[in-house]
Amino acid sequence: MDAVAISMFLVFVLATLAISYWASRRTLSSQDFYTAGGQITGLQNGTAIAGDFMSAASFLGITGLMFLGGFDGLVLALGAFAAWPLLLFLLARRVRNLGSFTFVDVVSQRLERTRIRVVAAGGTIVVVVLYLIAQMVGAGKLIQLLFGLPYEVAVVAISVLVLAYVTFGGMLATTWVQIIKAILLLTGVTITAFMVMYLSGFSLENLLATAVIQHPGGERILAPGVLFDSPVQVATILVSMLFGTLGLPHILMRLFTVPDMHEAKKSAFYASLFMGYFYLALVIVGFGAVAFVYGNPAFFTAEGQLIGGSNMAAIHLATAVGGNLLTGFMSAVTFATILAVVAGLTVSGAAAISHDLYAEVLCKGAPDARRELQLTRLTTVVIGVIAVVLGILFQNENVAFIATMPMVVAASVNFPILFLSLYWSGLTTRGAIAGALVGLLSSVSLIVVGPQVWVSVLGFERALFPYDYPALFTLPLAVLVMSVVSWLDNSDRAAVDRSNYHSLLVRSEFGESGRPPPMARH
Amino acid sequence: MDNAAKLQVIRARTRRRFVFTLITLLLYFSFILNWTALGDSLAGRLGMSHVTGSLLMFAALIVTFILLELVFLLMNRATTRSGEDS
Repeated sequence: MDAVAISMFLVFVLATLAISYWASRRTLSSQDFYTAGGQITGLQNGTAIAGDFMSAASFLGITGLMFLGGFDGLVLALGAFAAWPLLLFLLARRVRNLGSFTFVDVVSQRLERTRIRVVAAGGTIVVVVLYLIAQMVGAGKLIQLLFGLPYEVAVVAISVLVLAYVTFGGMLATTWVQIIKAILLLTGVTITAFMVMYLSGFSLENLLATAVIQHPGGERILAPGVLFDSPVQVATILVSMLFGTLGLPHILMRLFTVPDMHEAKKSAFYASLFMGYFYLALVIVGFGAVAFVYGNPAFFTAEGQLIGGSNMAAIHLATAVGGNLLTGFMSAVTFATILAVVAGLTVSGAAAISHDLYAEVLCKGAPDARRELQLTRLTTVVIGVIAVVLGILFQNENVAFIATMPMVVAASVNFPILFLSLYWSGLTTRGAIAGALVGLLSSVSLIVVGPQVWVSVLGFERALFPYDYPALFTLPLAVLVMSVVSWLDNSDRAAVDRSNYHSLLVRSEFGESGRPPPMARH
Repeated sequence: MDNAAKLQVIRARTRRRFVFTLITLLLYFSFILNWTALGDSLAGRLGMSHVTGSLLMFAALIVTFILLELVFLLMNRATTRSGEDS
């Protein structure tokens, strides 16, 4: 990589560190740390959500999958996008009106606070850690490719940088890093797509025709069936992506960074708008990678493998259509993407431990503010270390595939608890906990015995379960257990849980301006 | 607004939420048709071009979802203006 490209990299890193320094001077309380004081506007928050969600998995992973299998790679793009309308329709207003820092605040207003917080925070931590793996792998591979650093060194360097943002700047720094990154990523994808179209004579027909000629699969890449051959397999991915996104703690947490539910709904819409554009542009970028990277031996090793693996197809495309300048820009943007997402995840994981567990469970909602903030910062460091270790273990996997694993857990644990507590009066604490535990155990177990972990990571010959993303089975199972156990629950606590629903419902729709919501009976 | 009126508003809103959700889910999962025999015609090229029905469906779904959100927000704005939120 030449000096211009390296300069772009350094400019971004320095700019984001400056933002963190600025934000750290404004992060004085836990509320500042977790939700940037609730003063982000709808447009800013929508951009930050888009920045948070258009991750390395989306950009590098989906382009990589399209490079390998053409149209089939778009399954993950549709899955990633379709959750946003549902977030607006089902969750934005109710969650914003009820919560304060995390989605666990919402469910614990109705159910027995201590037990439900422990379970929901456990689900959050598992999701955050799994999601971090995808980001760390993407970032590590990128730095390894660009700077020639050993993968392990690259992963540690990234972790240190993210910890600097989060530990000092909290959600305010994270939000602004995400906003800047979203703008840069949309700009980079637009430039790349423009260059691809320019080289194709601004004809989609020419682009697709070139892609068909270059790809070993020929015309099959324009239709379904190259990567995924069964409708059940596709359904498992679509269910995991849709309901998993609705249960991602770092996305739900962003609804609390705006002043009210009107801004929360606007956030969801703006996020959709930006992401809709992004995923449509990825169609051009993905087929562009097929058309302009396959035919160029400079991007392949002597053994015929793509240098850096399929995750790096987007970066090679930037080189092919825009030379070192665009490569440097896209690399810096992708790196920024990863840093921003890892920062958001780290804040979310830290909030689960220091807010949901320490402040609300151990200190019964009355923690020492200074100690809570100290614990939050310590937690970010621990999460950073975990991310490094797992990032090294999973380094040979496709990031889009890895990023779908936490979606399965979020879909099987967080989403059913949140949805049923908002929409079903019959849910009880016992039912929610039983369903969440079944969802957690079944989803993690089936992921482990599925092809991605059992065969690719652990090295066994055949997977014990045929699908990578079992949410199609584990989400209904979790909902069924929650429903049956709640129906059978005749405890005193169950009566309290059911009677809490009415006041929660009214509050979730109408809010309570000017004062905090009254606490439900506990 | 008294409690009964609030509950009536909540029921109407919930109905609206579920209608929009149902439409979204039906459209979303119809994408699976591409991998079934029923969707064979989708996988074919449109005329002489290299664009397939499957590709067109992907783009159309994204645009439709955004339009659905816009309609939902506009409907919400109309009801908010009529004093439903007070």
